[in-house]
Amino acid sequence: MNESHDYDCLIIGGGLAGLTCGLACLEAGLSCAVVSSGMSALHFSSGSIDLLGYNADRTLATSPVDALPGFIEKNPDHPYARCGAETIMEAMAFFGRELEAQSAPMYANGRENHFHITAMGTLKPTFLSPASVFTREIRAAFEKRPAIAILDVKGFRDFHPGLAAANLRKNKLFADCPITCGEIELPGQTPAAGGARDMRSVDVARILDATTNLEAVAGAITAAAGRADIVALPAFLGLNRYQEILAGLRRATGRLIYEIPTLPPSILGMRLDQALKSRFAALGGVFIARDTVDAGRIEDNQVISVHTTGQKDDIRAACYVLASGSFFSKGLVSRYDRMFEPVFDCRLDTPPDGRSLSGAAFLSPESHAFIRAGVITDGQLNPQTADGRTIANLFCAGAVLAGYNPVIEGCGGGVAIATGYAAAKAIRARLHPPQPTATAGPQ
Amino acid sequence: MIDLENTSFDCCIKCTICTAYCPVARATDLYPGPKYSGPDAERLRIKSPLLADHSLSFCNNCKRCETVCPSGVRITDFIYKAKGSRLKKSHRLRDFVLTRTDISGRLSAGFSWLVNPLMKLSVTRFFLSAFLAISRDAVMPAFDRGTFVSGFRNQAKAQEGFPRKVAYFHGCYVNYYDHALGNDVILVLNAMGIGVTAPRQKCCGVPLIAAGNFKAVRKNAAFNIASLGAAVADSDMKIVFSSSSCALTVTQDYPHLLAMDTSAIDDRLELLTRFLHREFAAGNKPAMGSLNLTAAYHSPCHLDRTGGVRHTIAVLQSIPGLRLILLHSECCGIAGTYGFKKEFHAIAQDIGHRLFDQIEQANPDIVITDCETCKWQIEANTRFPVRHPVSVLAEAVKKF
Repeated sequence: MNESHDYDCLIIGGGLAGLTCGLACLEAGLSCAVVSSGMSALHFSSGSIDLLGYNADRTLATSPVDALPGFIEKNPDHPYARCGAETIMEAMAFFGRELEAQSAPMYANGRENHFHITAMGTLKPTFLSPASVFTREIRAAFEKRPAIAILDVKGFRDFHPGLAAANLRKNKLFADCPITCGEIELPGQTPAAGGARDMRSVDVARILDATTNLEAVAGAITAAAGRADIVALPAFLGLNRYQEILAGLRRATGRLIYEIPTLPPSILGMRLDQALKSRFAALGGVFIARDTVDAGRIEDNQVISVHTTGQKDDIRAACYVLASGSFFSKGLVSRYDRMFEPVFDCRLDTPPDGRSLSGAAFLSPESHAFIRAGVITDGQLNPQTADGRTIANLFCAGAVLAGYNPVIEGCGGGVAIATGYAAAKAIRARLHPPQPTATAGPQ
Repeated sequence: MIDLENTSFDCCIKCTICTAYCPVARATDLYPGPKYSGPDAERLRIKSPLLADHSLSFCNNCKRCETVCPSGVRITDFIYKAKGSRLKKSHRLRDFVLTRTDISGRLSAGFSWLVNPLMKLSVTRFFLSAFLAISRDAVMPAFDRGTFVSGFRNQAKAQEGFPRKVAYFHGCYVNYYDHALGNDVILVLNAMGIGVTAPRQKCCGVPLIAAGNFKAVRKNAAFNIASLGAAVADSDMKIVFSSSSCALTVTQDYPHLLAMDTSAIDDRLELLTRFLHREFAAGNKPAMGSLNLTAAYHSPCHLDRTGGVRHTIAVLQSIPGLRLILLHSECCGIAGTYGFKKEFHAIAQDIGHRLFDQIEQANPDIVITDCETCKWQIEANTRFPVRHPVSVLAEAVKKF
């Protein structure tokens, strides 16, 4: 690291893209800090990683691995096209290894997508899921046309087993599966006098994390599940002891326990967030949990420093990554008169006029134009200043990028991981360019 | 009348992330969590103060809710404003002892030879619990002999000799409990060619805020702003803090929670490790010897809230021979005076367990943290000595 720099790499944004990029930088031996202004979109996610759920013609993508080259060809401005199919798969493998190292593995269905069940009882294609959502064993169990019990905890506010069951029954994949619903009560659930527990997923997860009587929970599940082979529960089986709880309940009930993601804050997303941050800290990364990068100083097409709101620091790094997210995370800002990227005022790809930002129907397969808006980058993920000059040491990753629609393409997690990883790769190449092989010469 | 100026609760989108990370809500179901106590209930409280309920008092002011909030809501400002203006006070005597640190500290430090052994007696603890509602099980910190300020007077002349100086906000902790830390601060800064002045100061007020005593905290704040402002007025001196909580209170709570005018000192305030980090980066680094020490670093909640954690880490990373283990950030539970209070002691202990377990697992030689009450809590609950970053730095400087 150059003495005049605080870090080799400074990452703006502590979500999936920023953390993946940070891990890849640290693994490459670069010093790295992340500035985060609050918790990320992982808290609003399913906790599964979508790589490519749908083809360009909106049909279901069976194997994203096989579909990616064709998809990239048809979508030359897509962030995936900036990475290339090979780097994307390298990124997914890297991501898997990092979580494995943190003992929080994710599972893929080989080269193919698998489905996860939503709280509405619909199926969503995805590529990587945690052990409570997809494993070889879970796939085998569902293939046997099992009896399924969808259970809920009494008083839980954010899930309706009947709704999930009704929709699942409509799906031909579940035509032969008897689906029942039920409710259980947890030991220690009754709050103390004057208790104020809200009974959201975090509350249930806390009760389960604290329980010393997992046997009683298993007993309640067995009683409510009848003869079901698979027991689906809202994803609330603990935040810290979740692996122990899942394994314990599966063992004690003899049923396959399955988790369905529900309303935010998403327990599955929080577990993933926790695993990534713990790994980042273990590798020596500096995570600034609460500050906001509000401006960047650019000279001669290079970012010289960035300024933070809280510490009023000018942080200097050799390279910078803009992984600040989309509109919700304030990585992009939309006003009546214009849309902009607030830190560097990078050039954006925006819909041509304000009226076309959103479609007429809230939920429609056409989606909304604003979702595709974002920062324009070149093949190195370098953005441009508002007047069109490429910023050589700034790289963009994740939802701040233009040219993709995570909802209708089913690629949000994949784009975050692939571009975060590709940005780290580009940074490594910039800071440690491959040395030309020394040619033999006079000694 | 409804205060229409403060409707920043409208920024809350009800995502509940704050409550999901609230250590108190995790430990007890008696606390409905920061979303309810802050932005949700504030909507009701601005209509009628009668709607303020006592569940508010469970908040330990760790501010983790604000650290994690994706929408930047000043959640604890709502909670503490309501506590200060709308809740009936209980435990007035206890709060006086715990919050008037300038008075109780000066009295006790003057008689530390008497107070310290006395505090260890079970009979004393029985009375503290019965009459002051201070937990019998809380480990009371030991007072130093006399005050730091009185000792500093002997050095003040020597400090004048330095061409560059800083104004040091030592806080109550250094003044009454740990003069060694104050002397370490002086040693390190002197080794960098910087002299130390100690302008007159009162307790920053963080325990008073916790007790909801806004009248008293405003008085302290006004005194500190005036005194610090006068001390730096004719120079470009920085005001440095060794305590992360004092720094947070003066930089954030004075202007936001208390709506005080801090413009005279705003651009001077710095956590000491931030000041040191910037000096080091500019080439002014003291000569240091190698320590051969493994340390686990615990970032205090109030430091995380201000985003200053990277400065402390950078300073620690510059110490030769110090192997640093960064712990996953967790509240230690004590939260200033919270863990000493009888009704909250068990909650504080429950909160702290995850941090204590992490430290046990890391098995370092020492634990490092910037916060004095975190230090008390970790020392009382683990077998590891706890040091301030600047004390470790001072040790390396002495080794050269």
